[in-house]
Amino acid sequence: MPATGTVKVPDGKLIEVTLEATDRIEDVRLTGDFFLEPPSARADLEAAIAGHPTDVDRETLVEAIDGVDARLIGFDADHLAAATLEAIP
Amino acid sequence: MRLRVVDAGTYSEPVQQALERVLTDRLAAGEMEPTLRFWYRDAPAVALGRFQAYADEVATDYVADTGVDVVRRVTGGGAMYVEPGSVITYSLYLPRAAVDDDVAASYASLDAWTVDALRSLGVDASHEPLNDIAHPSGKLGGAAQLRSGDAVLHHTTLSYDLDVAAMLRTLRIGEEKVSDKAIASAEKRVARIGDHTAADRDSVIDAMRDAAGDRFDLVDGTLSDDAVAAARDLAAERFETDAWNRQL
Repeated sequence: MPATGTVKVPDGKLIEVTLEATDRIEDVRLTGDFFLEPPSARADLEAAIAGHPTDVDRETLVEAIDGVDARLIGFDADHLAAATLEAIP
Repeated sequence: MRLRVVDAGTYSEPVQQALERVLTDRLAAGEMEPTLRFWYRDAPAVALGRFQAYADEVATDYVADTGVDVVRRVTGGGAMYVEPGSVITYSLYLPRAAVDDDVAASYASLDAWTVDALRSLGVDASHEPLNDIAHPSGKLGGAAQLRSGDAVLHHTTLSYDLDVAAMLRTLRIGEEKVSDKAIASAEKRVARIGDHTAADRDSVIDAMRDAAGDRFDLVDGTLSDDAVAAARDLAAERFETDAWNRQL
């Protein structure tokens, strides 16, 4: 069953991460009313989150997300990491 | 800077959204001069943000019953419900060199002339970061940008006298809010230009042209037949298809 984590950035955007969490994070889908440049980087962010063990810590996720060559607008790597962790049951 | 103004042309929502891609690419390729375009629509529609999940935003049964077009934009941001004649949408297609590289600053500066225009009509409008135009009673509208190659697309939709009840039936923000209190709260978040000035919609657009004229050297123009034909082709190929509109 896919699970969803949602973070509302204060005075900002809604970040929603849907994923499968068995041993590892899989099938990541990032949606919301944020901005991202280039738009194609959404797949790169999803790939950066996927593959980590389900007990991954926030710093590791932030580091992986920061490694993606993209401009996150209306949210940052920490918001995305928080939404990811919230989705892990 | 010289800015061409295109204030004509009524298109379906898929063609409108396809024009955004085509005109941004033409500006980037040096095939089109910097342009301000006012939109004219032929039917109610939902313009969905590039990264939004269709089923999260749209009341799918209502939309299927009424045939409201739901079209995914090339820009991020939130879903907007739009109706012909009751919203004002405009697009700016500009070279990157003319736009602040700081995104937050660029939203403020590319909406500043609109805020000036509304204020000249007595509407207490202001830019609200990141990308909203607000009135003390709620949100008048929002902007969205795309940077692509050497081009920046900045488009903004404002409510003139939007049917808020229809908006709440179409978008899911209204769906789960069964209590009167919740609907009142959603209605409160939408502010409409027409509630705060006697100016009709055309006069608002005239005021916007005047305010743009304080910042740019305006020249009237029209879209080339070729650009419109390219947008119609792209609409058929992408913006009219579930593969694009329902990809998320």
